[in-house]
Amino acid sequence: MSNFSLALRSAQDVAVMTPAGYINDLGAERLEQTSDQFLDEGLRKIIVNFANVQHINTLGLSIFTGIVQKTIDYDGTLCFTNLKKVHRDIFEMVGLIEHVRIFKEEKDALMFLIEKG
Amino acid sequence: MPDRKLRLKRMMFNIASLVDLGQEVSSSKDLSDKMKSALYVVSGTFSVPSASLYAYDGKRKCLRLLADKGHKDRTRQVSRLKVLAGHIRKFPVNEPHPVRELAKSPFYKLNSGAFTALQVRIFIPLFAKDEFVGALALGKKIGRTPFRSSDKDILRVIAHQLAITLHNTRLFRELARKAAENKKLYENMRHIYQDTIQAFAAAIDAKDEYTKNHSFRVASYAVAIARELGWKKNDVEGLYVAGLLHDIGKIIIDREIINKGEALTGLETSEIKKHPQISYNILSKIKFPWKNIEHLVRHHHERMDGKGYPDSLCATELSEGVRILALADAFDAMTTDRPYRHKLGLDEAFREVLSCSGTQFDEHIARTFFNLLLRELSGEVRDLQILPHLRQNDPSAFPALKPGANS
Repeated sequence: MSNFSLALRSAQDVAVMTPAGYINDLGAERLEQTSDQFLDEGLRKIIVNFANVQHINTLGLSIFTGIVQKTIDYDGTLCFTNLKKVHRDIFEMVGLIEHVRIFKEEKDALMFLIEKG
Repeated sequence: MPDRKLRLKRMMFNIASLVDLGQEVSSSKDLSDKMKSALYVVSGTFSVPSASLYAYDGKRKCLRLLADKGHKDRTRQVSRLKVLAGHIRKFPVNEPHPVRELAKSPFYKLNSGAFTALQVRIFIPLFAKDEFVGALALGKKIGRTPFRSSDKDILRVIAHQLAITLHNTRLFRELARKAAENKKLYENMRHIYQDTIQAFAAAIDAKDEYTKNHSFRVASYAVAIARELGWKKNDVEGLYVAGLLHDIGKIIIDREIINKGEALTGLETSEIKKHPQISYNILSKIKFPWKNIEHLVRHHHERMDGKGYPDSLCATELSEGVRILALADAFDAMTTDRPYRHKLGLDEAFREVLSCSGTQFDEHIARTFFNLLLRELSGEVRDLQILPHLRQNDPSAFPALKPGANS
């Protein structure tokens, strides 16, 4: 059984995804599928809140690689918030960080995206 | 981050990726999920949003898509890559190829549409033990950064792992197919074996005009008792075979003695009493897949009180199988016509067996047998094992009961 769950909400035209648990198996594909769905439906602003994420392995990185690529393709804006240092370092090392906006808290990302218009 | 620290971190990350890959390929997931997970690990290691993994199909001379990431709408276009023997000979083993190096190859030209649709940047033919097993195709890295030589080093290791996994899966499938074939062959052989034994039993019974199907009934009664006592299936089977063959020794007894309509002389009795030993001599030369067939057969005329034959064994020396067979044989003898007397009614046979419990027969086995028979007679048991044979001998004495009726 996957130790992964995903909470979703939206605020105006911003989609907020809050994964929880372990992003280390195919159970976490939902994350990429959900972000694909948002982008296909026309949303261009996505926040991923990592506050409840415990572990990301290379399989999990693949999922975020897909999310980042598709956001680039759709000319969207992807924000990561509440990142633990270890996760931030990994994203930086694999070259994903340069394609996302990093915020300490979700509310900061929300404010940025709403003001962005 | 200082360069040296970054290189170290990257090295640790690569090692972690190899560990993740190892966990995925050695997991108990089915092949499809296993390969998909492995592909995701590769994609995450190199920040490649799109990648495909193929397995080689030698019969159809193609690479068949096994797992894919990032090509959702284009999967149908790229589900097979044609590959000829000549192409394979030129593939360097587990070596990452930038696609621009492949562009002039016949293999690429044959599959240029798929390569374009996949947006392949790196193509790696997978070999395990010199056998071509598949291929890995990677798209561009995110941000279009180039593949470094250190990336290719890790890719070679990954390629080797994936190749071994594909190879082992193919071997395992072949093994499973052969095992299924062997099982079918074994079942066929078993049926032939059982049919042969039944033919022998029929031949034995044919010698004695009064005991047609005697061996079959003895075997059936013995099985009914053994099942009731909770015997394992394989042991029940062995007892059934012993039941079918228990009188094989009668084949060399003079037919006139067997079918004599009056009391036997002392000489004739000792002749008849040879049949368990003869049965043993015949059957002990056969390597049955069940244990002790020859012993069950040899001792089916022994008694609990040691007054049986041929070895005068007493209770503690008689296995449960022998006790069951002895009762089954005697019960059928009582309830069928013989040249020298008519069959006993069920009541009489019941009383005869119970009166001999403890001396001739095992009391527990006798009670088990009769309890089962009573349950069959009262309609409590749907799966009848004893009654059908009694009915065959005497339909009027044992009319068919409606299910659930009590006697």
